[in-house]
Amino acid sequence: MIKFNNIHLSYNGKEVIHNLSFEIKQGEKAAISGKSGSGKSSLFSMLLGFIEPGEGQITFDGVPVDAKSAWDIRKRTAYIDQDVSIGSGRIPDILDYVSGLKSNAHLDYTNKKFNDLLEYFELNSDLIGKNVEDLSGGERQRLAIVISVLLERNIFLLDEVTSALDIHLKKKVVDYFVRKEDWTCLVISHDPVWIDNPSVKVLKLEEREWKQ
Amino acid sequence: METVDISVFSLGLTFLLLAIPVALSLIFGFKLIKPLFHSVIRMSIQLVMIGFFLKYLFLWNNAFVNLLWLIIMITVAVFSAIKGSSIKIGKIFIPGFISFSISTFVVVFYMNFFVIPINNVFDARYLIVLGGMLLGNSLRGNIVGISTFYKNIKKDTKNYLYVLSLGASHYEALLPYLRESVQLALKPTLASMATMGIVALPGMMTGVILGGASPEVAIKYQIMIMIAIVVSTITSVILTILMSLRVCFNKYGVLQQDVFINSNV
Repeated sequence: MIKFNNIHLSYNGKEVIHNLSFEIKQGEKAAISGKSGSGKSSLFSMLLGFIEPGEGQITFDGVPVDAKSAWDIRKRTAYIDQDVSIGSGRIPDILDYVSGLKSNAHLDYTNKKFNDLLEYFELNSDLIGKNVEDLSGGERQRLAIVISVLLERNIFLLDEVTSALDIHLKKKVVDYFVRKEDWTCLVISHDPVWIDNPSVKVLKLEEREWKQ
Repeated sequence: METVDISVFSLGLTFLLLAIPVALSLIFGFKLIKPLFHSVIRMSIQLVMIGFFLKYLFLWNNAFVNLLWLIIMITVAVFSAIKGSSIKIGKIFIPGFISFSISTFVVVFYMNFFVIPINNVFDARYLIVLGGMLLGNSLRGNIVGISTFYKNIKKDTKNYLYVLSLGASHYEALLPYLRESVQLALKPTLASMATMGIVALPGMMTGVILGGASPEVAIKYQIMIMIAIVVSTITSVILTILMSLRVCFNKYGVLQQDVFINSNV
């Protein structure tokens, strides 16, 4: 489904990714770990077309990521970056904006599913009246997860999405994604709740091999 | 009623007034004397030169020369707008030039064709003077609009990329930034319109009255020019931004790294 072939990436003349290849199949749950600056987040950026690899090719369902396919890939994936950038201002305005995008016309945050998700991820429904800036780091991460689920996509690119959660909530998040068999999840995390989960295969960037 | 001319000696008396800011600067240590004289001398030389130039331009009143002069004015205005926006001139000069030309020519010709009862729409007295008023007044709005648009996207890169990741089209992802920059660009003009006549007598109205026209005529010209300024500002800002997208963003919808003069913007 998602294939990185002989990828090289440099920043300011320094090579951060050297000849990296790996593949994620549909329905797989995979965690990528590696030290800071090893280019983990750049893998998602390259897949979504935010940056281009210096060398190598990324394919998504057999189609190379390029200036045309990247726009379609973004419509099929749900991405959360490590800073949980979901915009600023009032949460209902953000939800209105997201659901107002043509590709997300089906997103309805007033329905039962939304409330069920809030409940599952232990977010108070009062949250909806708040500004994003007033949320704690953990609340932001869980709200971003709720939005990503509401997008009704089955490929998730999650960059350190459980870093601000306590162990109980981390487990709930991991369980939620792991039990969805048809969802493909590519996660960047050092967290044992992901890495030690038997359903998640792990790629350590330094060692360049998958461990199950 | 004729305008009363000011003799060169009388004009010199105006310069005597500068003794007040010079004295204040000396007393309070403002260090304003050098920049003050630099600006006053530069303004005087530029205006004397343009005065002579306009005198002959009005005398010849040749359509081709008038149009050429307006194009030169547009070129200078575009340079000034881009220079104040921290964007590289090479990136948006052509989009800016086309946008400024469209907005200026459309509005000026509309006024000269349909509003002002003149026979020659290329008449220097109207084409150049109105064009100059529009360019001068929409310049600040353009600087604010263009720089706000690009700086905000750069500052807000992560949120902008998040919106793209949600499957937004390039237009959808840019729209909030376009709205904000156009609103900011128009804010000073709209604010000055709202207080016009109460807080201050606008420049054009003052000029027309000093030129010997009645206040009724001056008011009509002032209303016309303010509407023209709003229309040309909003048109030029939007067109410049839209036409610059192709050179300032890559095909993935990501802002190019080399758009700004200073990479730390």
